[in-house]
Amino acid sequence: MIGIAQIGCYIPATKKSNVDLLDKFATNEAFLRDKIGVLKRAQKQPHETASDLCVQAMEDLKQRIEIDLDTIECCVVVTQNPDVKIPHTAAIVHGALGLAETCASFDISLGCSGYVYALAIVSAFMQAQGMSKGLLFTADPYSDIIDPNDKNTALIFGDAATVTLLDEQANLCAVGFDLGSKGADYKKLICENNQLSMNGRAVFNFTAAKVPISVTNLLRKLNLDKTQIKQWYFHQGSKYIVDTITKRLGLDPALVVFDMYQYGNTVSSSIPLLLSQDLAKLQVGDKILLSGFGVGLSWASTVLEQF
Amino acid sequence: MSKVSVEKILEIIAEANIVEDVKELDHNQALDEQGVDSLDLSGLLFNLEEEFGITIPDADIAGIQNINAIVAYVNTKI
Repeated sequence: MIGIAQIGCYIPATKKSNVDLLDKFATNEAFLRDKIGVLKRAQKQPHETASDLCVQAMEDLKQRIEIDLDTIECCVVVTQNPDVKIPHTAAIVHGALGLAETCASFDISLGCSGYVYALAIVSAFMQAQGMSKGLLFTADPYSDIIDPNDKNTALIFGDAATVTLLDEQANLCAVGFDLGSKGADYKKLICENNQLSMNGRAVFNFTAAKVPISVTNLLRKLNLDKTQIKQWYFHQGSKYIVDTITKRLGLDPALVVFDMYQYGNTVSSSIPLLLSQDLAKLQVGDKILLSGFGVGLSWASTVLEQF
Repeated sequence: MSKVSVEKILEIIAEANIVEDVKELDHNQALDEQGVDSLDLSGLLFNLEEEFGITIPDADIAGIQNINAIVAYVNTKI
């Protein structure tokens, strides 16, 4: 089976304070902390691109695990903010890292559900092609598409990138997925004319309604009970949405990971950023649940088991 | 006779846990003037939609800012 061997991360050092925007948006610090869950937003330099962030995440991965780049057989980037329209960002990353010409490279266009969707796609792709090692990047620098005067989005999103080393020898493997879309509502979270707009209420309603069902369906499909999940990793859309899902599923809040206070909602990078901190703590037999949701509107849930 | 009572709406607000004490709420004053923030209001509207099987369009929200207005509105929708 293809599993997660290690995760490298990059969060830009520059942080923009939400507290500085309290007056501008007529809000208060308690709302930032307890509802949005973002006190600072990580922000890349204006000249940096998605591929630059990916390369930085790769540097972190190399610090965490010895890796021979010549053995990488696929390079996949999840992004909707590519460096350029043509070519795909994975090709640029492939070139920047000097990967082998036999290494397959492609992008996956998904947002906040992208990491879990991509785990399903890339692990199946690698399995079908008989590949041993692959790199799965997430990088969606939203700072390029945010209107700083839009309260619905200006306080939420941060820039970051991750890279997951997928390896047939790794022992943290997905044992099932639940994937879906509600394309009829695609306009509720959309980028037009290089500017993001979000109907926060519609996205909240979608998430509150669909994610608990996705999780319940997945657990039922796998014959698992909620008590068998050691920890829960939901996309860090906001503290309010993570709290809402926790409540609607009747979960112990202590088992639900939340941490975006110092960098913001990093789209497809939010789940791997959290997971990277916990990989070393997992024991054989542990099961964790990941669920991403957002742009599309779409969702993707999976259970990972440590074998 | 109303199908949905003030008490039922207060029960839903209490379950949503968005105010300290629902008994203290002024039924004619906007909820956002009584400490309910925009996210809690979205959550409350979602709960109302789910409880009564109704859809509340964004365009209707401005007209249902207090408890009495919510009661009247829900009764027109069910």
